[in-house]
Amino acid sequence: MNDVALSRNGARLLRAFFALVVVFLYAPIVILLIFSFNDSDFPSFPLSGFTLHWYYEFVTNADLRNALQTSAQVAALSSAVAVALGILASIALVRQSFRAKAPVSALLLSPLVIPLVVFGTSLLLLFHAIGMDLGVTTVVIGHIVITLPYTILVIMPRLQQIDVTLEEAARDLGAGRLRTFRSITFPLILPAVVSAFLIAFTTSFDEYAVASFVVGSSTTFPIYLYSALRFPNQLPQVIAVAVVVIAVSLAVVVAAEVGRRVAERRLGAA
Amino acid sequence: MRRRLDPTTPALLGLPLVWLVAFLLVPVGIVAAYGVDVLGLGPGPHAFTFQAWSDFFHSSIYLNLFWKSVELSLIVSAIIVVLAFPLAYYLALSGTKRKYVLLLLLIAPFLTSYLLRVLAWKVILGNQGVLNTFLFWTGIRSPDDPVSQLLYSRFAVMLVLAYIWLPFVALPIFVSLESLDRRLLEAASDLGASRLQAFRRVTLPLSAPGLVAAFLFVFIPTLGEFVTPSLVGGASGYLYGNQIVDLFETGFPDWETGSVLALFLLGVVAVLTLVFSRFLTPSQVATE
Repeated sequence: MNDVALSRNGARLLRAFFALVVVFLYAPIVILLIFSFNDSDFPSFPLSGFTLHWYYEFVTNADLRNALQTSAQVAALSSAVAVALGILASIALVRQSFRAKAPVSALLLSPLVIPLVVFGTSLLLLFHAIGMDLGVTTVVIGHIVITLPYTILVIMPRLQQIDVTLEEAARDLGAGRLRTFRSITFPLILPAVVSAFLIAFTTSFDEYAVASFVVGSSTTFPIYLYSALRFPNQLPQVIAVAVVVIAVSLAVVVAAEVGRRVAERRLGAA
Repeated sequence: MRRRLDPTTPALLGLPLVWLVAFLLVPVGIVAAYGVDVLGLGPGPHAFTFQAWSDFFHSSIYLNLFWKSVELSLIVSAIIVVLAFPLAYYLALSGTKRKYVLLLLLIAPFLTSYLLRVLAWKVILGNQGVLNTFLFWTGIRSPDDPVSQLLYSRFAVMLVLAYIWLPFVALPIFVSLESLDRRLLEAASDLGASRLQAFRRVTLPLSAPGLVAAFLFVFIPTLGEFVTPSLVGGASGYLYGNQIVDLFETGFPDWETGSVLALFLLGVVAVLTLVFSRFLTPSQVATE
């Protein structure tokens, strides 16, 4: 099919450019992968032999394990709350009609644009003013704010796709609001809820900027990484962690995307 | 034709709004209060004053840093949009069957750890890093003469920011090109327009909103960026965001001045968002 948008040579050129950019995007990750197996204290050429030493080091590193655990807890808690709030807000924005919809949705989405350095300092001043100790709880509070708009952006479109008559039918058959939500709405938006949770989880797990202001003396994984980045002797170990974390998050992303498509296709056909 | 005042709405919105008011609006209000010295770190009575604001607008240090950040963010955003446009164009208009797989390939790095992608460049760019030692090893450069200025420079900050944001920016451009009605291009071609003319007169104007959105998606978050500059920027890559952090976190905190700097940045971002709000609709953000 010849094309009004692109000549054959143009398409070739763009394909080559695309490939080049993909190489640029993945080369640093591949370099990390290579040097995570390199038997040397410093990541530099020439390569000096294969080792699993760095992986062993990080598996046995208690500080690092604790940091990963803390981050997993923070991410699980904050994304569970963010998703719950996101479902409530999305239903209100999609199903209800009320006058202040524009400013309300602007407020709900505003954490997307607020500079994280401003948000972090604001939270620091708030907790200082009310005398709340900094720690895991304060990070969770901040992460809920940051991830809430993502959950709304994922759940709202799915809610819009659902046929309202299904909910109305349930109501006509005598189901209450909660019952309708539990048996009709929630199962239908479940794929979006799951991907909202995953997006919120990975965002929180990786969040450094806001956490750096309100984490106090606790250590989340990004906080650990940041301090490790300042000591070169820990570099090979950190590279090994990096490889594992990147591999896991890539797998989660791909699985979530594929899973959502499959689930939505199946629900769409039903 | 709904006219009921539905009690469901406040029940649904209550919790999310209370959360955002308590942990977003109130904190920003406290920052504002610090900026005009109604609240302060020091002991003693505090009186309302615009002193810190007036100092800020008369200080060349802070304003220069701000313009340095603006300039760097503008350059980075422009470069990224220029790079991302052909990528999105290829995916949306070349008729490739695997466009969603390729899109995922492009975006996937964005969804992996931010700090670890910065780490990768730190490993690559150092004077004894992967790139330099590779050049020594292959004999292209002598070990006494490394390519310096790679790490801890403005260049490093720009490179890393471009690396981090490029995948993300392809998305809004892709969405706007994807929704382009191809019949318009066919019509242009039937009326004798060359591909270049069709591109200039049809494709480019119609995808402009996506390009503006893409530009803002990078510009807004990088304007207050402090993590990347503090890791790879060194002294010459020190930005406005780093100044804010230092005013709050060093041994001699100056929360009044820090609050003014933070609020000014927030104001700039808010104005940008309002002015360009029609380009920043959720549909531009929401993924396929």
